[in-house]
Amino acid sequence: MRGTWIIFRREVGQYFVSPVAYMIAAAFLLLTGFLFNNDLVVSATVKAASPSVVPQFLSMALVFFSPVLTMRALAEESREGTLELLLTAPVRDSDIVLGKFFGAWFYYSLLLALTLVYQVILLAITTPDLGHAISAYVGIWLYGGATLAVGLFFSAVTENQIVAAFLSTAALLVLYLGGLAGQIVANVDLARIINQLTLQGHFITSFAYGLVRAEDIVYYAGMIVIMLYITMRVVEAHRWRA
Amino acid sequence: MIEVNQLTKVFGTYPAVDHISFDASHGEIVGFLGPNGAGKTTTMRMLTGFIPPTSGEAKVAGFDVLKDSFEVRKRVGYLPETVPVYPDMTVYGYIKFWAELRGLRRPKRRVDEVIDMVQLTSRRNSLIRNLSKGMRQRLGLAQAVVHNPEVIILDEPTIGIDPQQVIEVRESVRALRQNHTVLFSTHILSEAEQVCDRVLIIHQGRIVAEGTPANLRRKLQPDPRLYVLIGGASHEKAITVLMGVQGVESVEPNGEGLTVHVRAGLDLRGEIAARITQAGYQLLELRPVAMTLEDIFLDIVGRMP
Repeated sequence: MRGTWIIFRREVGQYFVSPVAYMIAAAFLLLTGFLFNNDLVVSATVKAASPSVVPQFLSMALVFFSPVLTMRALAEESREGTLELLLTAPVRDSDIVLGKFFGAWFYYSLLLALTLVYQVILLAITTPDLGHAISAYVGIWLYGGATLAVGLFFSAVTENQIVAAFLSTAALLVLYLGGLAGQIVANVDLARIINQLTLQGHFITSFAYGLVRAEDIVYYAGMIVIMLYITMRVVEAHRWRA
Repeated sequence: MIEVNQLTKVFGTYPAVDHISFDASHGEIVGFLGPNGAGKTTTMRMLTGFIPPTSGEAKVAGFDVLKDSFEVRKRVGYLPETVPVYPDMTVYGYIKFWAELRGLRRPKRRVDEVIDMVQLTSRRNSLIRNLSKGMRQRLGLAQAVVHNPEVIILDEPTIGIDPQQVIEVRESVRALRQNHTVLFSTHILSEAEQVCDRVLIIHQGRIVAEGTPANLRRKLQPDPRLYVLIGGASHEKAITVLMGVQGVESVEPNGEGLTVHVRAGLDLRGEIAARITQAGYQLLELRPVAMTLEDIFLDIVGRMP
């Protein structure tokens, strides 16, 4: 636990010493800002403003965004040789992986918190459905955690950050677009199963509409647990390959 | 402090470390000497708990590296061959990170102490990416000793840095001996001689010789050799003169000069110099040929069954 905390702290610090973190935050706000503005314009005439417009956009953007946040995490440790020192320090392998994961998730949570500014604006000009907003934010927060766990796994399997980012984007794309495969399958049950396995299937039709379901929470939490577990195994395998 | 018994590591079918046994007591600096690929790093990695041994056992401070890995890791300071750094951290932040990770509760004072010890105080708040190679090496050393470990394992700490810095690192290592057991690997014979109390020569995963540096040198150099450069004589004439000296066993050309093999235990330099001048030639150079590490290896390996 102590090890997790120390590694977590270093990890978070690392995000903020590099200008990249600030640039990512700026891009994040710029993109979501455009989107929010657009929705606001439309809401003046056509429909009510949606509190989940930003989370919905993120459900797609995270496919490309999460790998950027996690690609460094373990790949760089492995390349620089610091992983060897970490593995000879009196900390458990799981401390290393958990510290890294929570560090990335924490940084993502901060970014997500920044977008709450749009909710504040909505509150000032209209009466949005708060339950809907909370549901969408909880959903996309968990969703983000799951994508980060996938990214962390690919950061553990290679020493090359670019390869790590590419592989995790590819994997997340499959998980994201998997629903398309479900649409062309004739068998309804099979299609439903495929959809249940995708990232989107547990967000777009539930959290994004203000629906908090146990099965969706279990899906994202389960994905986090499974990916972190495999990642710990991969890190442990460094001891056998070295 | 360190007890190693029949330790073996096999990669695939290749035995990187092959049944080695040795020990090191408190306050001793033990040198691991051997060419690249001899198994030095692998042995050190097993002692630090980074990789598990295939068979055999190793104990550090009384704890088994496999069964009590955690206890071992608390008591070992380790500097791998390439200093692992986080380029975006400051010197202080980096040392503090490792100090905390290894269990120091209030590390501030101790961190500043070791930064001072490796003479990086003036760079305390610099980013590591801006440090020179020698500074990084000293930073690595600071990282390895910050938690005051009983055993310090240094994998070629003087590789790739300039001569002045090499001397500094060697001095730092020697200064550690009072309170720590140090295991130190190198492929430079003279370095092992200067720094270590005891040297283990390792080749193809086995310990092929062991002893104090002086003893090893005596043992391994049974046949002293001299390099002689003579002016005014052809090789043939010079060889005739040299072979006339009592105690010279053989003479062979070596570039411009000659290598003279002398019977063990004799110092014939005066005699040889006198003979050459008597014969009317000029003695331009006369010096003992120190055995290089390569020679020693060839010698040892040649004698191995």
